[in-house]
Amino acid sequence: MKKDIVNATLLWIVLSILGWILVLNWNIFPPALAREARIVDDAFNLLTVLAVPVFTFVVAILIYAAFRFRSPGGLEDGPPIQDTGRILTAWLVVTIALAGGILINPGFVGMSEVRGEGGADVVIGVTGQRWSWTISYPNGVDVTSYTGELVLPVDQRIQFDITSLDPDVIHSFWIPAFRIKKDAVPGRITQMFITPTETGTFAEDPNVRVQCAELCGQGHAQMSMKVRVVEQAEFDAYLDEILAEGG
Amino acid sequence: MTTSAEPIQHGAGPSRQRRINQLGLWLFFASETFLFGAFISSRFITSQTSTPEDLNQALALALTIVLLLSSISAYLAETANAHDDHRGFRIYTVATITLGALFLGGVALEWKEALEYFPPGTIYGTAFFSLVGLHAFHVLTGLIALAVILFLGKEGRFGSKDSWPVEGVIKYWHFVDLAWVIIYPTLYLF
Amino acid sequence: MWPLIRGTLSGIVGYMVGALIATLTTTSTFSGEFALVLGFVFGLLGWLFGIGMWNAWGREWVGLTPKTEKAEGWRRYLRFNTDHKVIGAQYLVTMLIVFLLAGLVAMAMRAELASPGQNLFTADVYNKVMSMHGILMIAVAVAGILGAFGNYLVPLMIGADDMAFPRINALGYWMVPPVAIALLAAPLVGSFDAGWTAYPPLSVLNGDGQVLFNVAVIAFGLSSILGGLNIVATVITMRAPGMTWSKLPIFVWAAFAASILSLTVTQFFAASLIMILLDRIAGTTWFGAPGGGTALLYEHVFWFYSHPAVYIMVLPGMGVILEIISHFSRKPLFAYKAVVVSFLSIAGIGSVVWAHHMFTSGMAQNLEGPFMALTEAVSIPTGVIFLAAVGTLWRGKLWFQTPLLLAFFWIFQFLIGGITGVFLADFVTDLSLHDTYFVVAHFHYTIVGGSIFALMAGTFYWFPKVTGRMYNEKLGKIFATWFFVFFQLTFIPLFWVGLNGMNRRVATYQDNLGGVNRFASMMAMIMGLSFVLFVVNLLWSAKFGPVAPANPWNARTLEWQVSSPPPEHNFPSPPSVDGGPYDYGVVGAPTHLREVADPVG
Ligand code: HEM
Ligand SMILES: [Cu+2]
Ligand SMILES: [Cu+2]
Repeated sequence: MKKDIVNATLLWIVLSILGWILVLNWNIFPPALAREARIVDDAFNLLTVLAVPVFTFVVAILIYAAFRFRSPGGLEDGPPIQDTGRILTAWLVVTIALAGGILINPGFVGMSEVRGEGGADVVIGVTGQRWSWTISYPNGVDVTSYTGELVLPVDQRIQFDITSLDPDVIHSFWIPAFRIKKDAVPGRITQMFITPTETGTFAEDPNVRVQCAELCGQGHAQMSMKVRVVEQAEFDAYLDEILAEGG
Repeated sequence: MTTSAEPIQHGAGPSRQRRINQLGLWLFFASETFLFGAFISSRFITSQTSTPEDLNQALALALTIVLLLSSISAYLAETANAHDDHRGFRIYTVATITLGALFLGGVALEWKEALEYFPPGTIYGTAFFSLVGLHAFHVLTGLIALAVILFLGKEGRFGSKDSWPVEGVIKYWHFVDLAWVIIYPTLYLF
Repeated sequence: MWPLIRGTLSGIVGYMVGALIATLTTTSTFSGEFALVLGFVFGLLGWLFGIGMWNAWGREWVGLTPKTEKAEGWRRYLRFNTDHKVIGAQYLVTMLIVFLLAGLVAMAMRAELASPGQNLFTADVYNKVMSMHGILMIAVAVAGILGAFGNYLVPLMIGADDMAFPRINALGYWMVPPVAIALLAAPLVGSFDAGWTAYPPLSVLNGDGQVLFNVAVIAFGLSSILGGLNIVATVITMRAPGMTWSKLPIFVWAAFAASILSLTVTQFFAASLIMILLDRIAGTTWFGAPGGGTALLYEHVFWFYSHPAVYIMVLPGMGVILEIISHFSRKPLFAYKAVVVSFLSIAGIGSVVWAHHMFTSGMAQNLEGPFMALTEAVSIPTGVIFLAAVGTLWRGKLWFQTPLLLAFFWIFQFLIGGITGVFLADFVTDLSLHDTYFVVAHFHYTIVGGSIFALMAGTFYWFPKVTGRMYNEKLGKIFATWFFVFFQLTFIPLFWVGLNGMNRRVATYQDNLGGVNRFASMMAMIMGLSFVLFVVNLLWSAKFGPVAPANPWNARTLEWQVSSPPPEHNFPSPPSVDGGPYDYGVVGAPTHLREVADPVG
């Protein structure tokens, strides 16, 4: 019985190490072009690293049991191990510690980080409707997803004021390269802050796009818009350009 | 067979069946409470506690009193039945049905006015028509159930020996009244 | 057959009457929305009365004596029958049929998704097909285990002769076929395309089919409320002498906890769907912003049911699996009391975590922290279930029959479902993962892994009891392994596409995800094929399998102490209970069913 515990523990450790090697080396995320994207990816990675030993613990026991504890026929009874309470207590302590730990970090820590601090450098309006986006730039010019793209300055804290036409349905404003999203609800303005940290375009990676993420009818999948993150100077030039076109 | 000393469990006896029925009814009330709870909390979420000026407070108060009276007559009907007073049972049940019908008539009147002052397309009207309608539907089912026991009990069929159907229906009636006692302040007083 | 024909005819008449009343009293046309609602309500009543409720029950209400219509053999299953075993079997077969149907629909969806562009369906049709798959599968997961095994086994396991309210039980079952028919008939009036979640304003603005969705799902909710009520009342009042709460088989506890949830929170789903109907038909403005309503209200009311609903789906699954693990490890269930406390606290805490579905919705910011904390708190009692499972397996004498094999697979999958659930409970990561294919993969791991695999495991485990014949062990194991392997191959890749920018509920997507999606689609088709084996095995074995003894698994619980299938009133003489249900290997432990010193016959 000692032997069983030692062997299963060894199996657990081996599996955990393999698991950690795997998750520390895989690169499963698309490009992260914003401060918020980094926060999300870090949180995801932290959770994955913590999940590995939990997962391998159960899997190790399953594998070990499947090979070591077979007894065909169902006639022989196992040892009547009743719970002594010690194992249960230990288990509860560990799971409570884990749950409490991730609640603090990435939970609350991540929450306050991703919300960020301070006012916005740029405010951009976003209106969803079936099935297009309308972007209202700070200079008062509106651009729709039929014809235009969403151009954003790098290293600026951008506030998106998001809403949906009224009456219309709920949409959700999501830029996969920035990770985070916020719903566009008729009759309400929701806010999302993002600080792009790298330039990039849709042509370089399809995740640099706006994508509606709340089912809104038949055009839902198509309800997207190309995004271009540019240097501040280029952004200013772009604003002048659309003002000239629009005016 | 040595097990014959054990309490009989198959083929539940009458008193046991009655306990089961009572439990079932209370579980049903618990469930219905969630239904009313959903609508009542939604009223507070969408329109907080605002109430329009044009509410007919006098009528609502009168309706509340009518419904409370009907609970008293329902109680009397139940006791009469339990004491094998068949005449009393019939009289009080008829009284309860009359009061209940009066209540529904009042609701109809109220709706007519409400359609003018705060139609369903307004946010208060939404809560008002939904909640009052939901409750009126329950009153209607209660009236039908009362009518059924009145009809079945016309030859003194229930009495103390078979009082569950009467008790169950009257308990339901009390429950519907109680729901109104909560809906009334929700819609009129806050 | 006669009751079915009678029910159908009076259902049709009821529908006509209802629709006619609507047409005559309002501006609705005969196929208008209000006519659909009233038609369904009256049609449902007509069907129920016709199928046998009138004879068995309604006659009492007008002072006539009820008529019982006796039938033998397979005909027992096609009528208003109050025997809980018949009802359990009715649920099992109905739910398996709906499951296979919705599974075929899923294959069609995967065919569409096999490449990025539009292949099989237009976007519009895809949304409708997706919504159909979703709601049918939700119905299977909600009523599969509870309806089938809850009804069949709870009375047997606690030593009762039937449920507390047999007629309500039959009523609950017979409400299900019209629900399925209304959902499947929705394409006739424009289908529903708002997903199973039916968020307004979309569900207020879309086609008439949404109305059928709403009334059908409300009726289904009523059926599950009645079912829950029955199980709760049965467990409280119908236990045999000696069957104390601490001797209840763990499946009974699981069904009990899930039934408390069904009984209560389901009303919120009904309320949210009624509000949609009112907005559509009566001109109210619960969710219409122009009139002052808000769509967020729906999300709160809806998730107040629909989060606990995942526990309605999965708690009975946990019960089935722990049951199987103990009997096939031949060891006492590890930490029985802790498991019971966990079931109840999962149900309790699970009822106050709903807004974790709304982290991106724009609800009040100060709700976000508390809901994250509560959600992560559920992982603690859930963890105890895993402890019980592996603690029972440890050093057991494992008898690897198909049920135990499926239980192993269940643990593995529910583990993945649970761990990925933490990623969705975490505020930050959910902002990214919400409404992507990561969620799709996650909930298939929990629902298929947690509920469907348990339904399969239970089907094999209790097959001998229900049919009186053994299934084919080899075919069972091949099926289980096949299903399991291709399930992983289908859904693991979907986590990745979700992380890489694929949102859910789409027929077309970015080109760079084509390869992985094609792979997932191929694997899904192969997984779907495994069900041929499943169906063949069960059908063939039910007819030609070797005759099953009363207790082929040598298990202790009461249902195995009576013949297979059990006699009409379950126990030849009133049972009473002595030892615990899981005292395997305990020296001197008395049997669970008290031995009769001088057995009859
Ligand atoms: C048999 C293999 C299955 C496959 C290949 C499959 C595939 C899919 C796909 C492609 C979607 C669309 C996802 C989206 O865009 O949101 C979906 C949705 C869904 N599936 Fe499955 N599915 C399967 C089985 C199941 C089972 C067994 C259940 C539950 C018991 C289930 C429950 C659901 C639900 C609830 C939805 C959500 C629908 C909605 O968003 O309204 N699926 N499935
Ligand atoms: Cu959309
Ligand atoms: Cu949830």
